[in-house]
Amino acid sequence: MSLGERPRPQVDRDSAPWWEAVRRHELLVQECVDCGTLRFPPRAICGRCRSRRSGWAPVRGTGRVASWIVNHQVFMRAFADEVPYAVLHVRLDEADDLFMYGDLAGADPADVTPGMPVQAVFTDIDDDLTLVRWRPR
Amino acid sequence: MGLRDRAAIAGVGYTPFSKDSGVSTLTLAIDAILAALDDAGLSVDDVDALATHRVGDSTPPWVVAPALGIPEVSWYLDQFGGGSVSHAVIGQAAMAVATGVARTVVCYRAINARSEFRMGGTGRGVAPVYDAQYQAPYGYFAPPQQFAMFTRAHMLKYGTTHEQLGSIAVGQRANAAKNPQALKRDPITIEDYLASRWIAEPLRLLDCCLETDGACAVVVTSAERARDLAAPPVLISGAVWGGGDSFLSGQGGDFTVSEAARIAPRLYAMAGVGPEDIDVAELYDCFTYSVLVQLEDYGFCAKGEGGPYAASGAIRPDGALPVNTHGGFLSEGYVHGINHVAEAVAQLRGTAGDRQVSGAEVALSTAQPGYVLAGTSALILRADR
Ligand SMILES: [Zn+2]
Repeated sequence: MSLGERPRPQVDRDSAPWWEAVRRHELLVQECVDCGTLRFPPRAICGRCRSRRSGWAPVRGTGRVASWIVNHQVFMRAFADEVPYAVLHVRLDEADDLFMYGDLAGADPADVTPGMPVQAVFTDIDDDLTLVRWRPR
Repeated sequence: MGLRDRAAIAGVGYTPFSKDSGVSTLTLAIDAILAALDDAGLSVDDVDALATHRVGDSTPPWVVAPALGIPEVSWYLDQFGGGSVSHAVIGQAAMAVATGVARTVVCYRAINARSEFRMGGTGRGVAPVYDAQYQAPYGYFAPPQQFAMFTRAHMLKYGTTHEQLGSIAVGQRANAAKNPQALKRDPITIEDYLASRWIAEPLRLLDCCLETDGACAVVVTSAERARDLAAPPVLISGAVWGGGDSFLSGQGGDFTVSEAARIAPRLYAMAGVGPEDIDVAELYDCFTYSVLVQLEDYGFCAKGEGGPYAASGAIRPDGALPVNTHGGFLSEGYVHGINHVAEAVAQLRGTAGDRQVSGAEVALSTAQPGYVLAGTSALILRADR
């Protein structure tokens, strides 16, 4: 079983630019032009000041593990050969309430610790898809 | 004062709970609806409205109505959603009755959640829910995983322990032993709990509810009319729903607080009671942690104290706040919330048999507190005496 057999993201019209950036190995979030709030996932309006004006801001791709699971149950056959695997809820260093999910790259699930510093890495799955994953730093 | 005590639950009905019903969700719905009408002393000819919720896993009102031969449907509700909206369905039925839009609403939930449609996959694709694209490629899409993530956050912040979670599973199994329709009635110990296999750490098999085939229905009508029917009415004193949350940004970053904390003040205000007035609580228990966090967020103990509170014995039948007296989804069966309402009704009628909480007059019944599809819902029910 390979990463390529995992469920593919159902990209929508809001998220397409974000996934295209990931394809280029760039990690972006939206930044409100008027109040500066960073937001993820992509959407047309700032939930804080309601501004419709936003830009794409690169983030460093560094964060800390806010929480994580170690999954044992095979909920989907594509993951049968991967269990047990960790999924991380990563708090990005740019803001206290900015998170991304991802799996753990280059480490054992048993090695994850609270607040562990991690770095985003980009894994090209095939010609159309790149995934953001996280490795300890 | 708004919706308080204007509508009542006049009847409840169940199908048997099983791992393989052998019948369609339409048949399950029909069986539960007819049982609830019989309990209320009503017939299909009295029904003018149906309400349900589903996530592509059940039969809608506009199929059930002609199957039953309901002559004219004046209102129906076919709400998208799983456990988080379970109590909102009944709240909306109460609104329909209170405004005169409908006279007799039967609310139902019918699922073959083991034999046909298992939550979290095992064969089917990922549900088309918001944010799934940022999660599913990593193997994160099943409710036990989503609850495990925030159970861990609670453990990290407050020191909540496996033994505290386990005390909920053990206690609810003891309750189920007194419930003839419960799927799991054999006692378990904390050692059994700690030895059960991991599903998604930090949650084990015995932290998880039972995937169940079955249906449950309740009849909602006006309080005045309910007093003339066969069963003692149970008044809907509070009915609220709401929420909307993100686990990605803009929410302050503390996910140890559930959506229940957001709706609880409105719920208590509508019903005119407080946590200290609740005699019995049926708290949504898709997983043990769901109970623990709601003990905090509905105000029964301080934030962060849900673990010690649960383990203290306070939620046992002889404790300060009996919780999930029927065994809950962990041990009775999982019909997505409405069987909690039905148990609350039994407790308030005083017909809960060996598991009756003496003198129960006010009950809280709650929905999934917002860790899967954001938002939650809850009811405060009151005996009419
Ligand atoms: Zn803004």
